[in-house]
Amino acid sequence: MNETSWRQHLYHGLLWLIALLFFMPVLWIFLAAFKAEGLLVSWPPRWFFTPTLDNLRDVFARPGFWSYLAMSFVLSIGAVVIALVVSFLAAYSFSRYKPTGTNFIMFLLLSVRMVPATAVVVPVFLMYSAFGWSKTFHGMLLFYAMFAIPFSLWILKGFLDGVSERYDETALVNGGSRLHVIFRVVLPQVKPGLVAAFIFNIIFVWNEFLFNYLLGGKGTTMIPVLLATGVNEGGSVDWTFIASLSFIYMLPPILAIFLFQKYLLVGMTFGTVRGEV
Amino acid sequence: MADIRVERLRKTFGPVVALDDVSFSFADSQVTCLLGPSGCGKTTLMRIVAGLEQPTAGEVFFGGRRVTSLPPRKREIGMVFQYPVVYKGISVYRNIELPLLSEKLGKAERARRVEEVIALLGLEVSADKDVSALDNGTRQKVAVAREVARQPRIILFDEPITNVDAVAKLQLKRAFKELTRRLSQTIVYVTHDQTEAMTLADQIALMRDGRIVQCDAPRVLYNRPADRFGGWFLGNPGMAFFDAVLGANGDGPTLASPLFPAPVPVADLPPGAPTSITLGIRPEQIRVGGAAAPGAVQAMLLRKSISIGRQYLLSLRLPDGITPPFKAKVEPALGDALAAGSDVWVELPLDRVTLFDPSGSRLEARLGAGAAAPVAAPVRS
Repeated sequence: MNETSWRQHLYHGLLWLIALLFFMPVLWIFLAAFKAEGLLVSWPPRWFFTPTLDNLRDVFARPGFWSYLAMSFVLSIGAVVIALVVSFLAAYSFSRYKPTGTNFIMFLLLSVRMVPATAVVVPVFLMYSAFGWSKTFHGMLLFYAMFAIPFSLWILKGFLDGVSERYDETALVNGGSRLHVIFRVVLPQVKPGLVAAFIFNIIFVWNEFLFNYLLGGKGTTMIPVLLATGVNEGGSVDWTFIASLSFIYMLPPILAIFLFQKYLLVGMTFGTVRGEV
Repeated sequence: MADIRVERLRKTFGPVVALDDVSFSFADSQVTCLLGPSGCGKTTLMRIVAGLEQPTAGEVFFGGRRVTSLPPRKREIGMVFQYPVVYKGISVYRNIELPLLSEKLGKAERARRVEEVIALLGLEVSADKDVSALDNGTRQKVAVAREVARQPRIILFDEPITNVDAVAKLQLKRAFKELTRRLSQTIVYVTHDQTEAMTLADQIALMRDGRIVQCDAPRVLYNRPADRFGGWFLGNPGMAFFDAVLGANGDGPTLASPLFPAPVPVADLPPGAPTSITLGIRPEQIRVGGAAAPGAVQAMLLRKSISIGRQYLLSLRLPDGITPPFKAKVEPALGDALAAGSDVWVELPLDRVTLFDPSGSRLEARLGAGAAAPVAAPVRS
């Protein structure tokens, strides 16, 4: 073995070690989901034990769990799909028609995401109260869509700028309408961007707590609120409940990320790094 | 009939005038090259013909039908861009077939058309390959094939071989030549590369500053440029220019120039011709020799360099110190014999000299003692 490969192995080993270190809390939660209540908080942590499904059964039996889970799915998927449709069309317009002030508008949109949620919670709450939208399903749905649009727009505009306008023009000359160009010619070429925007935003909505807690009512509660409010139900902190619910709740995003990994890597560069133009 | 006629076409982008009242006709079933330096408005003109750009003023007609306000998809045209537009992830065959799918064509007819263009452009080997696996030159062929397969009445090419490497460029040029010879469509081909235009065009429309300066067959354009710009822009290097002064002797008007040992009689000058005239001649038409000859003047050979076809490009200077150095092209044998720094004799064959007035327009006149015979447009082989 020569020196370079020896060094490389060392680096890889180190990277693995660091990655595992950061993964520890997740692993702890995953294991805790299958531990009996007494074992859970024991110190030092017990890595080997007889797993039990009691905790999961308990979660499934909780009142409202299934409806909350369903709401999590409906709200995050629904809001992000709305956001993607809106931001794809907006990104196309920004990319192709370049209205005056495009750069400023793009900056303004992104700055929406720079404001901490706690800073806008009061104005949003007042606005929603005035509209009579708090505690409503469409209110929640539109709020999350609104929150997902700027980031999606940024990702998609990067991708669309990478699709040469000559594609549009060729299709137009070849007898296509503008809608044909947008959906049949351009859309297929920015699929990685759409997937990336979808995943990033769905993770955000999936984990959102604050606005769901303050604006949402009984009918629009998602799992993070259940996690927070369910903690103290027994009088003391219910760790097995937290662990098993977290476990269930983390599975879908982890699966999604695993399945769409290759798109995410492309998406994280905002479409700016491409093999070719 | 699918000739393209534009009338008083004007296009401005803010303060920039891209097209300045252009009226022109692209002949039916012919290849017309729009040739000109970057920014002369040739691409803008083509994009207006395609309908991708709206003119500020003026009209566009296809075979007598006004199309100025028609959207591109209703103009029945094909267009190939500088950037090879191909759809990645699908085969060459599919790429060519795609636009045909939305037309009302039988399955057999569709396949026939696709296979025909594949054969026409020599794409048989790549027909089933994914376009992602192809080089830019082949991709461009695919883009061309797709437009040809649709059988539009007009095909527009916008610098289609600028973006490919040198070898592929040559192949594409050859393929296009073959293709255009077999197609009966009206073809407009935009380029800034004169060899491309010379090779492919039935006629070249030379553009400058938003105007079409001259439109002629390549050889006519090369040998009889309508103005100094054409002489300078075409050829590599372009025409050599010399100052001359109009005078007179007992028999009539004469032209005196440092390149003529004695004033040369000139006939058929238009009335009121200016006294200060510019002589233009192609570098390869300047006669250079190692020994004194009648009609020749002495010059110094500054440098020699080898150019295409092993011809020599000579940099020459007259002893008068006023005339700027100029270039001449000579055959290999002569070039080998001449040494840099030595004296040579330079003669301008009078039938090859073109005269320009101070504004740059060509003057119709005949040079030489026996100037009775009209100068036929000399044909270069």
